Amino acid sequence: MSSLWKEFSKGLWKDLPPFKLVLGLCPVLAVTKTAYNGFGMGMAVIFVLALSNLLVSLLRKVIPAKVRIACFIVVAASLVVCVELLMQAYAYPLYQQLGIFVPLIVVNCIILGRAEAFASKNPVLLSVADGLGMGIGFTISLTFLGSIRELLGTGQWFGMQVLSDWFEPVRFMVEAPGAFVCLGVLLAAMNAFTNWQRRTKGLEAVQGPVHDCKTCGMCATKPGA
Amino acid sequence: MDYFVLVIAAIFVNNIVLAQYLGNCPFIGTSKESGVAIGMGLAVVFVAAMAAVITWCVQKFLLAPNDLGYLQTIAFILVIAALVQFVELFLKKVIPPLYKSLGIFLPLITTNCAVLGIAIICQREEFTLLETLIFSVASGLGFMLALVVLASIRERLDLARVPISMKGTPLGLIMAGLMSLAFFAFKGMAS
Amino acid sequence: MKEMIKMVVVLSLICGLSGLTLATVRQATSARIEEQVLTYVQGPALEQIFTGYDNNPVKDRKAFDTPGGPVTIFPVMKAGKLTGVAFETFGKGYGGDIGVMVGFTTDGDKLQGIGITTLKETPGLGARVVEPDFRNQFRRHSTETIALSKSGGDIQAISGATISSTGTVAAVNEAVKIFNTIKDKLPDAWGS
Repeated sequence: MSSLWKEFSKGLWKDLPPFKLVLGLCPVLAVTKTAYNGFGMGMAVIFVLALSNLLVSLLRKVIPAKVRIACFIVVAASLVVCVELLMQAYAYPLYQQLGIFVPLIVVNCIILGRAEAFASKNPVLLSVADGLGMGIGFTISLTFLGSIRELLGTGQWFGMQVLSDWFEPVRFMVEAPGAFVCLGVLLAAMNAFTNWQRRTKGLEAVQGPVHDCKTCGMCATKPGA
Repeated sequence: MDYFVLVIAAIFVNNIVLAQYLGNCPFIGTSKESGVAIGMGLAVVFVAAMAAVITWCVQKFLLAPNDLGYLQTIAFILVIAALVQFVELFLKKVIPPLYKSLGIFLPLITTNCAVLGIAIICQREEFTLLETLIFSVASGLGFMLALVVLASIRERLDLARVPISMKGTPLGLIMAGLMSLAFFAFKGMAS
Repeated sequence: MKEMIKMVVVLSLICGLSGLTLATVRQATSARIEEQVLTYVQGPALEQIFTGYDNNPVKDRKAFDTPGGPVTIFPVMKAGKLTGVAFETFGKGYGGDIGVMVGFTTDGDKLQGIGITTLKETPGLGARVVEPDFRNQFRRHSTETIALSKSGGDIQAISGATISSTGTVAAVNEAVKIFNTIKDKLPDAWGS
C-alpha cells in the first residue's frame, strides 16, 4: 500500500510534470490560454496515460524487447484516437479549442516516457498509480499555468470575470510570447524554492532540472530498434 | 505568388515553434550549442518534408476512400516512426558521412511533435500535394531558424552571470518568449 | 527465427485488437459526433440568420434529393409552423472553399439572410465576409439577381477581398437554384 502511495504521490510534487520532470512542453504552452483548456487537456492526458500504463504493464511480459517501442506507440495512438472520438462526441467545443493538440498527445514524451521508464518494468497496480499520479500532476500544472495566463491576460478565471474594471488585461499573456515567459518564470520560481529549502538544510544551491532529450525516455533508446 | 505567401507565412508569420507551439521539447532541449542546433534543424526539415508527403498520400489514397479518417492519428504516427527507421538505415548504408552528422538526431524525431503536427496541419488546411511539400519544407526551415538563433543566444548566455535558479531551461524559455515577441511583429505584416 | 515469429504475432495481435476497439468506439460515437458537429459548426450560422424560432433546426433536419445530390435542409419553425429553411452551399474563396449557410423564408421568395460556416482566408482580409456589414446586405434580399455591384447587382464587395465576395455571392446563387427545385416539397416535409 505504501509503495502504491509513493508511486502515486511522486507525480504530485517530487517529479511533478512538467516542472520537475520537464516533459511534453508543447501542450503546456499551447493549451494554457485559459484555465478550462488546460484542465481539459490534462483530463485527456490522465485518461491516455493511466490506460497506456495499465496496458503496457499488462503486456510487458508478452512484448518482445525489440519491437516494444512500436507496441507502445500503437497502444498510445489507439488511446489517443479513442479520446479524439469521445471528445468530439461529448465535449465538441473543447475539441475545437484544443484543435491539433488532441492528436498530438500521442507524441507527448510523457506518455511514451512513462511507458518505457516505468510501466514496462513494474507490476500493473504500481504502473496505474504512477500514470494517475503523473496525469493528475500534469493536470494541476496545466490548470495552474492556465489560471495565471487567463487571469493576467483577460481578467477572467474559468470564463468568469474575476478582476473588475481597474485591471487592464495584459494581452501579452494569452499570446505565444507570454506562454514562454510565464513558463520560464514559473520554472525559475520552482527552482528558487527548491534551493531555498536546500539552503535551510545547509546544502548548496543547485541548477534546476536540466531539460534535454535524456529526460524523455524515448531518446535514450532508439525507437523500434 | 501564392506559394511565396505560403513560404513566408510558414517561416515567419506562423513560425512552427514560436507561434504554433510545436516542437518545443527539441527546441529547448537541443538549443545549447549551435552545431547541434543546425544538425537537428536539418534532420527536421528532411524528415518533416518526407513525412508530410507520405502521410498526404496515405490520407488521400488509403484512409479517405475507405472512410477511415478517424484513424488518421494512429496511421500517421506509425508512418512517421517507420519512416524515421528507414531513413536511419538508408543513411547508415548509403551516405555514411551524412549519417554521422544527422544520425544521432533521427531517433529524437519520432516524438518531435513538429513532424506529426506539420502532417496534420497539411490535412486540416486541405493542401494539395505541391502545397504540402512547400509548406512542410518551409515549416522545417522555420523550425531550424528559430532553433539556430536561440542556440546562438544561449551560447552567449552561458558566459553571463545569472541567478542559479534561472540557469538552463527557465532562461531558455524566457529567451524563446522574447524571440516569439519579435516574430509576433510579422503578424501585422500579413494583413 | 522463433523470436521473429513472436514479434510479428504480438505486433499483429496488438494492432488487430486496437483496430477492433477503435471501430467499436467509432460505431458508438458516430451519430453523436455528427449531431455535435452540426450544432457547433452549422448551428451558430443558423442563429445569425433567424430569430424568434422555437424548434431545434439541427434535430429536425432532413435530407432532400436535388439534381446536384442530396442536401441537408434545416427547418425553422414557430409554434409548429414552418417559417423558414436554411442549408449550406459552397463557393470558391481565396484559400479554399467558403461554406455559406443560406436562409430562406417560406412566406415569399426572399432570402432571410446568410451566415458563414467554414472559411479559410487571409486573416484580416477575406475574413470580413463574416462581418455583419457584408452579411446584412443579403438580409430580406429578393432571390432574383443577386450580384456584386460591378456586375450590375446591388451587393457591395469588400474592398481587397473580391474573390471571397464573389465566392459568397456564387454560393448564394447556387442555394437559390436548389431552393427553387425543392420549395414545393417543403411544407409537406415538416407538416404545416
